[in-house]
Amino acid sequence: MGESDKNEIYLSSSPHYASPISTRHVMFAVVAVLLPLALYGVWLFGLPALVTILASVVSCVAFEALFRKLTKQDIRVGDFSAVITGLLLALILPPATPVWMTVLGAFFAIVVAKEFFGGLGANVFNPALTGRAFLLVSFATPLTTWSAPFVADAISTATPLSVIKPVDGVVLSAGQIAQRTGFFSEGDLYLNLFLGQRAGCIGESGIFLILIAAVVLIAAKVIDWRAPVAMVATAVAVTWIAGIDPLLTVLTGGLLFGAVFMATDYATSPVTPLGRLVFGFGCGLITALIRVFGGYPEGVMFSILIMNALTPFLNRIIPKKYGWVKPAKKEKAVK
Amino acid sequence: MSIKSFKGGIHPPERKDATRNLPVEARFPSTKLVWIPVTQGGAPNKPLVSVGDSVARGQKIAESDAFMSAPVHASVAGTVKKIETHLVTGNVDVPCIVIEADGSDRTAFLSPLDPFTATREESLARVREAGLVGMGGASFPTHVKLNPPKGAKIDYLLANGAECEPYLTIDARIMEEDAAKVVDGVAIAMHITGAAEGIIVLEENKADLVPVLEAAAAKLRENPVGPGACKISVALCKTKYPQGGEKMLIKAVTGREVPSGGLPSAAGCVVQNVGTLKALSEAFREGKPLIERGLTISGGACATPKNILVPIGTLVGDLIPEVVTLNPGVAKIISGGPMMGFAMKSASFPVQKNTSGVLFLTAKETALVDEDPCIGCGRCISVCSCRLAPVLIARAVKAGNLEEAKRCGLMDCVECGTCAYVCPARVKLVQHFRIGKLMVRTEMAKQAAKKAAAGTDTKGAK
Ligand code: SF4
Ligand code: SF4
Repeated sequence: MGESDKNEIYLSSSPHYASPISTRHVMFAVVAVLLPLALYGVWLFGLPALVTILASVVSCVAFEALFRKLTKQDIRVGDFSAVITGLLLALILPPATPVWMTVLGAFFAIVVAKEFFGGLGANVFNPALTGRAFLLVSFATPLTTWSAPFVADAISTATPLSVIKPVDGVVLSAGQIAQRTGFFSEGDLYLNLFLGQRAGCIGESGIFLILIAAVVLIAAKVIDWRAPVAMVATAVAVTWIAGIDPLLTVLTGGLLFGAVFMATDYATSPVTPLGRLVFGFGCGLITALIRVFGGYPEGVMFSILIMNALTPFLNRIIPKKYGWVKPAKKEKAVK
Repeated sequence: MSIKSFKGGIHPPERKDATRNLPVEARFPSTKLVWIPVTQGGAPNKPLVSVGDSVARGQKIAESDAFMSAPVHASVAGTVKKIETHLVTGNVDVPCIVIEADGSDRTAFLSPLDPFTATREESLARVREAGLVGMGGASFPTHVKLNPPKGAKIDYLLANGAECEPYLTIDARIMEEDAAKVVDGVAIAMHITGAAEGIIVLEENKADLVPVLEAAAAKLRENPVGPGACKISVALCKTKYPQGGEKMLIKAVTGREVPSGGLPSAAGCVVQNVGTLKALSEAFREGKPLIERGLTISGGACATPKNILVPIGTLVGDLIPEVVTLNPGVAKIISGGPMMGFAMKSASFPVQKNTSGVLFLTAKETALVDEDPCIGCGRCISVCSCRLAPVLIARAVKAGNLEEAKRCGLMDCVECGTCAYVCPARVKLVQHFRIGKLMVRTEMAKQAAKKAAAGTDTKGAK
């Protein structure tokens, strides 16, 4: 039959066509929007932030490669997923976290939270958050020691988030909070929070950058809008009821960062549209409850980790299938 | 004209330009041989001829008593050389009747039959006798489709001209070159099924065919006999894969959904491919059985993409290099389209009643990638044309949990491949579903056997 004899003919099940977008592309898009956040963090907090970021990314990639080599699995550095975990972990750490601690967090994130569960796509808990949770529980003080932007030494400053919480049922107004945290006025506080000019984690503060990242990722269909929108909306609504300034709920802490980058993590959040909405709602609710009543100033991390555990159940909420017919109630008729 | 659509779907590269404007050429290879599979749709047929018999073009050469079957006819006049198995679409070997053409034009067509004076039974018998099956891919016997179960009221006869598979342009060519026959086929099918409305459905990328088809429909209305009162219109749908899927077409045009596990007639619809409708018209007007078909030959490794008309049974390999020349670098030979077609191990397979195209794809064009772990992105769910949860079905199948797989839609899947197309991890979703469906069927068979055994046991005990 002519020339085609010379070729190697492949056989496979249909379809024989595939979209050009592969796992690598998707992951790379996330890295691309995280980089500006990381750079901004370095600009704000200087060298310590850079060291933390590098330590986290390098050790995440190294741990993944090492673990997969030791367990004789294919090395998957090329899919960028370890890079993302490294970046995410660094961005939710205080800038001056000691290097050994960052490396330990990375070990926890990659080896314990991800590879022990079967690697890419099979993990139950968000690796970066697990790493941070481990560090926070083990070394509470360094993990809550914030350095103010543009200051060389880590000194413990009051963050707006830490004074938002109602004390003995008294909620401070935005103006009072501005005073206590060293801002001139309410407007000055909002603006500085929006620009991320405040003490906090390396990457959580640049609200405007996170918003841009969110828009880009949603428009490029890399992430789904449901979980982040539901999470922020719920957190705002619930804290508002508790009397907290809604703008401050969004602008402080890691709410936005968590909603955009953590509540949308593929492996650890639901895959179904409705499941994602409920997931976001749960995250927002728990975050708000911890912020209002809890012992920690921030609830984003724990809320997402708790909801991660519920993901398999939320995945049971599937869309209404084409041609779905209500099952005839045979059993009842029999009874 | 409003543009209709359904939820989900994708936009793969169309690559139809290569053949869209090339008229259909009638071709026959110089080997003068056809390998006609004995069964092409429906229940298995038995050959009616023996080696050495002389047959006329259009003579019935195989049939079955089963209702769910369609006879097969000689596509050329000549002599039966052998009856033996040959590779066909699907990479299986099946019995074929090999006829060597003698170059004569001896024909044995049926006598023409006026579809509008014939009774319904006569018409259905004619459709079956002409060996009509769905030419769009499924090869479902047409007389069965045109004879919906009792009690089903048919409102719409939908002529499927969506042709949503990339590369394929044969349906577009048929509508362009044989608009009158297509419209006549719609009228006949409406008459047989009692459908009140006939709608020819196209994707937007074929909007240029709307005036052609509308003119043909207008001409039909001028004719006072028979279908004079037929309400036939043309509808445009969004260019989106798998718009041409029966279920999606019905949803887009009528807003109705075929109930899970049911037939289109349960939604008051009968869907027929435009090529089948053309053949339907010929079966009545000319008494011509389904013995030839047009198909698109294309793909990046095909140097001479074209639309051709060949006798059923023509070996694709015999057309190379006389009719079709190939570039080096053929990585996949596909019978059908790239989304739902079969990858063949060689080009030596016959064109059958449902072969809408043959593609020679280069490695670059086709997906030759290994499966990566699922990352749980949910893309497959947002595009699924049946609104299923492909990733969850695949996980359940892998875990052996068939009940959960069914709950997530395993048995509702139409295997359109949309989910696998978008999956960034290249998870071979459709392949997992096929395995899953097989597991469900074996399980059902086992249970049925058990039940039967238990039934006899208890009887025995009594
Ligand atoms: S192949 Fe099945 S599961 Fe995948 S998109 Fe098509 S209908 Fe949905
Ligand atoms: S598209 Fe692929 S990777 Fe994404 S959830 Fe579906 S199967 Fe998994």
